[in-house]
Amino acid sequence: MARTCIITGASQGIGRATAIRLSREPDVGGIALIARNAEGLAETQSAMADSGATVRLYPYDLGDLDGIPALIGSIHEEFGRIDVLCNIAGYAEPRALLDTTNENIVRTYTINVLAMIILIREVVRRVRNRPAKILNVASTAGITSRPGWLAYASSKAAVVSLSSTLADELAGSGIKVYTISPGRTATELRRILAPEEDMTTIMQPDEVADVIARLLDDSERILDGQNIIVRKQV
Amino acid sequence: MKTGMIVLAGGIGKRIGRPVPKQFLLLGGNPLLVHVLEKVRSIPEIESIVITSPASHLEDTRELIANHTFDGRFTCIEGGASRQESVYNGLLALDGYESVIIHEAVRPLVSTDDFRALIESPDENVMYGIPIPFTVLKGAEYVEGLLERRELVNVQLPQKFNASELRVAHEAATKDGLRFTEDASLFFQYGQAPVRILPGSDRNIKITVPADLIVAEALHADSLGRD
Repeated sequence: MARTCIITGASQGIGRATAIRLSREPDVGGIALIARNAEGLAETQSAMADSGATVRLYPYDLGDLDGIPALIGSIHEEFGRIDVLCNIAGYAEPRALLDTTNENIVRTYTINVLAMIILIREVVRRVRNRPAKILNVASTAGITSRPGWLAYASSKAAVVSLSSTLADELAGSGIKVYTISPGRTATELRRILAPEEDMTTIMQPDEVADVIARLLDDSERILDGQNIIVRKQV
Repeated sequence: MKTGMIVLAGGIGKRIGRPVPKQFLLLGGNPLLVHVLEKVRSIPEIESIVITSPASHLEDTRELIANHTFDGRFTCIEGGASRQESVYNGLLALDGYESVIIHEAVRPLVSTDDFRALIESPDENVMYGIPIPFTVLKGAEYVEGLLERRELVNVQLPQKFNASELRVAHEAATKDGLRFTEDASLFFQYGQAPVRILPGSDRNIKITVPADLIVAEALHADSLGRD
């Protein structure tokens, strides 16, 4: 049976690269792409033109937490099943502690943590008793000190924590929870976090997408519940 | 054979010393009651599962059933003032069923195979039992009598009974004003048929005191193959 995958943050960066990569997997029959930027989603879909999978676009701001159950409900109705959830959407607005606004903290945690938890809850409700995989993208910023990235780095630490907790809580249900923490990757987020960096010298989104595709393959059964560091050795 | 099930979830948390009833305590991140219901979810032969709950926690229990997406086979009713009354209420709710399985939320480490073995047993009335590994004497302040360990069995749930015969036995016990702590004893006293004892498991522990939860966490982790 062909798998259906949901990918958040699919309008750019690792999300887009993952969408393109998974669209080439022969056992993926449906892909739901979620992102706030509708134009970016359409560009991602264009890059998946050679795929045999059914691709649907869901322009949605994950800052609206209350609408997430209906969003996942409509995807489940459209495809009839959900097998994979890739939580890739991220938000970063680096500020020093004294410059960090309430709005910055709330937005960062809402997108990076709260929306992720609600997405997982709604997907788990619809896949009980079937094998499924959830992959959460954290960051190496979540496991080391990052002065000036307070909200972002601490929110990614929360992702590492919630992922290992859910891997244990859902153990035995058939649902596996994976976490990856990419290091420096040439994404729009990285451009915000490190504007001076030469993006051509660091890890590319499609390299991270390759790792994600391997973890989401049916043959992968042992790497869930761990924070997998994905970092290019220079 | 039309089979129903009663899950006793009537605790009020007195002996466990926690502010929430035992059935809602978490084991491996999920409420004890959910552990039991998950084992039953994949057994379609059990056509109806009636969960008995104190009136004060009916809504909480119903919310739990909905949140964890248990289907229409799972319903929640108000239990009685005692365990025995709760079972009887469950039997009334399962009117028309030929066979009834009885289990309790505080034995979350029961396995799906335990339920299947009960269903597949050719005996109508079946309980699980394990040997008693320690010496038991009669007495309170002084020893008043001896018990032969080899003749005793530690009673475990789940159990299976002929539903209408168990109901008749319950009514007879109530008429006599007798209280039993579980149904194999009651059925032995008032039933008209033998109760088969199947070998139980020392992993199917009952969560009674706080230390039991610690043991249960270790057993649960072991069952998932964790280090």
